[in-house]
Amino acid sequence: MNLKEKMQRRLKLSRPSLRARARPPKHRTALGAQFTAANLPTALALQHCKHCGHTQYPPAELCSICLEDQLIYQPADGSGVILARTELHHSLWEYFKRRLRQGSWPVCSIALDSGPVVIAHLGSDHLNAGDPVRVFSHTDASQQAVLIAVNATVDISSPEARRGIVSAMNLDIPAIKEDGL
Amino acid sequence: MRNYEGIALVCPVSLGYAKQSSHGAAWYVGSVLRELIHSAGIAKSDVDGLAVSSFSLGVDSAIALTQHFGLSPRWIEQANMGGVSGIVALRKAARAVQCGETQIVACIGGDGAGHRSFEATAAHFSSWSIDASFPYGAGGPNAAFSLITRHYMEKYDAKREDFARIAVDQRYNANHYPKALLGHKRLSTQDYLQARPIAGPLHLFDCVMPCAGGEGFLIMSEARARTLKLPFVRLLAADELHNAHAKDAVQDRGGWTEYMPALYQRASVGPEDIDLLQTYDDYPVISMMQIEDMGFCEKGDGPKFVHETDMRFDHSGAATRKLPHNTCGGQLSCGQAGSAAGYLGLTETIRQLTHTAGSNQVPRARHGLVSGYGMVNYDRGLCSGAALLARGEA
Repeated sequence: MNLKEKMQRRLKLSRPSLRARARPPKHRTALGAQFTAANLPTALALQHCKHCGHTQYPPAELCSICLEDQLIYQPADGSGVILARTELHHSLWEYFKRRLRQGSWPVCSIALDSGPVVIAHLGSDHLNAGDPVRVFSHTDASQQAVLIAVNATVDISSPEARRGIVSAMNLDIPAIKEDGL
Repeated sequence: MRNYEGIALVCPVSLGYAKQSSHGAAWYVGSVLRELIHSAGIAKSDVDGLAVSSFSLGVDSAIALTQHFGLSPRWIEQANMGGVSGIVALRKAARAVQCGETQIVACIGGDGAGHRSFEATAAHFSSWSIDASFPYGAGGPNAAFSLITRHYMEKYDAKREDFARIAVDQRYNANHYPKALLGHKRLSTQDYLQARPIAGPLHLFDCVMPCAGGEGFLIMSEARARTLKLPFVRLLAADELHNAHAKDAVQDRGGWTEYMPALYQRASVGPEDIDLLQTYDDYPVISMMQIEDMGFCEKGDGPKFVHETDMRFDHSGAATRKLPHNTCGGQLSCGQAGSAAGYLGLTETIRQLTHTAGSNQVPRARHGLVSGYGMVNYDRGLCSGAALLARGEA
């Protein structure tokens, strides 16, 4: 099958499960796209209200405390504590379905010391509720910023260290189906 | 708060549960409307109020449906609030009828279930879920509720065996309710515990099966119900509170804690007087949370309570305390028909209290409590609602 035929077949059989390359969910709102852009140059950037000092996440149009329109992205401290962790055995998305064939996918919710509750991929083993973690953002295989939580003792100070963690999780590459379209 | 005296709930309709369907939401909403009119013995033009809840109307709204169905209502409401839709619609419609703004309101929840439609709903549920929860494993509601369930289990030392009590008794009820999609299958505690894992502590029988379906009922004055010779149910009290306890890091309670004591007082009825309880059971832990928050036991005592309580519709279980719970099997056994699931507890309670339930009739049912919960905008369900209903004397 040449490339043209392959693309025609892919259009005809528009099923994620048939694709050669499956990627994490790419879709974001305009605010989510801003979050990705703001997080490109730094380990973690969150919305900060210049009017009342509130730090918030997920990204929103206005400050949820004072309702003022003075939100800016600022580098944030990613220290926090795990509220609950889970392991997914089932997913609605082809990328994760393929990853799940190699084992469950760990996800957790974290209370950041700066206030917000975030949901993140869990990049370290043997972490449970109450354990201290560090959260950073990284670009995934869909070119979107996602949050990753690791054991608080893990070094995440350099871009190289963070990239290494993400690579070990296979988050930066698509999930491949050898004979896919 | 003024009471709801003189308001009647009549003609419960549940129809069309299907795991997958080629029909759209308008088919389900319209079919429920047709059945409501037939069972009430009224003309379509007599329906002058319409409250609709649906996730799958797409570009259409309740207004578009008036043209689809040839209706000309003077009062209209669209309550798209998932599991609390039915109670929100009921409260608004009851006040509108009480104030004379409308005479007969059709309250309808309906949703289709096309191929891969659940995936689309989960992927685009809210802006916060799009940006901040769905990308993390794309587990949909299972992911959010596995975090809530694990937290509850760790905080209150709950076990899977405790949640099994809820799922197993509900399946028994569904085994006696012919419309339930899973009613033909038995479920033992063993089956529940050995089910395949889905997310963290959640296994297959903790999760609802998304499906298509429609639910609805009519609200009118008690006088009108008597004239039409319709068996009716009265609304003793109802309340709602949303985004309550926002400072709780993980949800283990809902808005009910703030208004249930006053609600019972307004109704002059207490938890001990309730003959049947319908909670919003998208996951067993959420039913347990409602049982606690609505005063059936203390916070954290849910696991003990469900072991000491027979939740079967016919009181046939071993436990001595009897509280028929989700008497048609709830969503865990009927299937979750989108927004219609937010009406399921109400339609079932109206059937029970008018003694028209048939094969799953609760004996001597007089008082029924229905609660609604819903809308996981990000990490927790934001809505809470409750309605206390009583059998109307003919």
